[in-house]
Amino acid sequence: MALRNLNRNRTRSVLAALGIVIGVLAIATLGVFGNVLQLAATNSFGEVGSQVVVSPNDDVGVESFSERDLQVIRRAAEGRGEVVPLATGGGLVRANDESSAAQLYGTNQPGVLFTAESGEIPRQLRGGVLVGTQVADRLDIGVGSAVEIDGNRYRIVAILAEGEDISPVTPGRAVVLPPDEFADSDPSQVVIEANSREAASAAAGEIRATANARGQRLSVLELSSIVDRIAEFFSLLNSFLIALAGISLVVAGVAIFNVMLMSTSERRGEIGVLRAVGVQKRDVLRTLVVEAGLLGVAGGVVGLLLSLVAVYALYVLSPLALSVVANPSNLPFFALAFVFGVVVALASGLYPAWKAANLHPVEALRG
Amino acid sequence: MSTRERTRPSLELRNTVKEYDGGGETVRALADVDFSVAPGEFVAVVGPSGSGKSTMLNTLGLLDVPTSGTVRVAGRDATTMTDPERTRARREYVGFVFQQFYLIGNLTALENVTLPTVYHDDPDAEERARTLLDRVGLGDRHDHTPDELSGGQKQRVAIARALVNGPDVVLADEPTGNLDRDTGEQVLGEFAQVTERGVGLVAVTHDPQVAEFADRTVRIVDGRLTEASGEAANLSREVEPP
Repeated sequence: MALRNLNRNRTRSVLAALGIVIGVLAIATLGVFGNVLQLAATNSFGEVGSQVVVSPNDDVGVESFSERDLQVIRRAAEGRGEVVPLATGGGLVRANDESSAAQLYGTNQPGVLFTAESGEIPRQLRGGVLVGTQVADRLDIGVGSAVEIDGNRYRIVAILAEGEDISPVTPGRAVVLPPDEFADSDPSQVVIEANSREAASAAAGEIRATANARGQRLSVLELSSIVDRIAEFFSLLNSFLIALAGISLVVAGVAIFNVMLMSTSERRGEIGVLRAVGVQKRDVLRTLVVEAGLLGVAGGVVGLLLSLVAVYALYVLSPLALSVVANPSNLPFFALAFVFGVVVALASGLYPAWKAANLHPVEALRG
Repeated sequence: MSTRERTRPSLELRNTVKEYDGGGETVRALADVDFSVAPGEFVAVVGPSGSGKSTMLNTLGLLDVPTSGTVRVAGRDATTMTDPERTRARREYVGFVFQQFYLIGNLTALENVTLPTVYHDDPDAEERARTLLDRVGLGDRHDHTPDELSGGQKQRVAIARALVNGPDVVLADEPTGNLDRDTGEQVLGEFAQVTERGVGLVAVTHDPQVAEFADRTVRIVDGRLTEASGEAANLSREVEPP
């Protein structure tokens, strides 16, 4: 019966459902886009968040770590992660009559910060060097080759894997040596590879509180809070997008409300006849609410299909990985959009339906 | 008249008063009306505009509740019924025919006739509707929509719709008001056939033609009912008992 009534005024029904289509499309698509953006962003940050990089604060004239600084750092990192002091510098690496500029790191525990692409990273780096892939490709060298750095020759123990993460220590253009090979073997920065983001931010907080109690001796770069803030921003962006889409659904609700109100006032006579021939109020109400619900469901289904097309288009047109675009965490947005669409349709159909059902048959028939 | 006295009335108004609140003053649309219609009886209700004709029909048809007095349907007092009960009683005992026909535009004649039955499990409703349409002479119009039918055909569809639930009484509000004289006469002929099957019929009308077909005509003026002897003289047709 409800279906037949909707069929009767197809243009009007389609227009009303179109409102819901657009609303559902907007919520689902914007929700998923926002989520994909967030996923893609946090994916590219990867594990960055769990590193804390501490360095002496040049700005206030502190050029190197004091014993006490190192102690503070070690204490702060205790139970939270591993402390890796790094000596750093720049240098020219030569091999096979070619040369390449490289970022030199001096540490004897490279295993904490780096992983090997080929060869093996020793627990303690005593002799030999580890070379990043970009340097290795440039010089056409591999494990076992010899390289010359600042006049000294070293054998390559391992090639470093390119990290997926943004990190203060980038392995691509790095050459890792034992710290003793540096003229100044004092560490210029200390990296804490923390067990988790929470541990990282706790350690960072403790270092700031203890070492920097009197003046900003150390600069503490803690990426976890930055990543958290980025994630926070994205979820804010996401809510914002959904709210925006929600407005369009409210507009759709008003459209349905209007359509149902018009349709019931147009059908006063018909409703009057139904009531006169013995159709109960609740049956009239039910028919009209089902009409609104059908508009909502139809609009919702079409809206979801369109938003799937939109998300697929996003996948095709952008360099995003399928795993990000088709991530299961997108599903709640589709469900949310659909449910919201149907609820809006029902809610805005309810009052006109109730009004029509309670119309006095005599009044209704008067026209 | 003797038929009416022997049989229990299908619908009955007793001391019925209906008052409206019209802009501060009370309008008395029905003043102490006694009226009844017997099975198979065709009653015409005539009177000037605003005399209370429609109010009387609405009250008889359980669409409106009287201010005081009683409305009896099939021997039961309808004034104490709840709205769902009255709605149910309308479905079981009363059929309506309106001046504007009130057929639903995109439904076929057959679907329009079955309309009063669609909300209930009624497997042979369609069969009854077909029989009724055949009986009112629309055997070849079952699948036509109202805009493919003439005024008289529409009103005959409406009559079939009024009869589909097997009512005791059909109430008609200006049934010939939108029809020309010849078509009106055909519709009144249908009414006559309806009453021959034992269904009571009350027609509210301005149309003297209706009164010609009626067994009895009552006149209502300012909410008061009088037997209109002039028009009511037409008792030539026999009323067959059910």
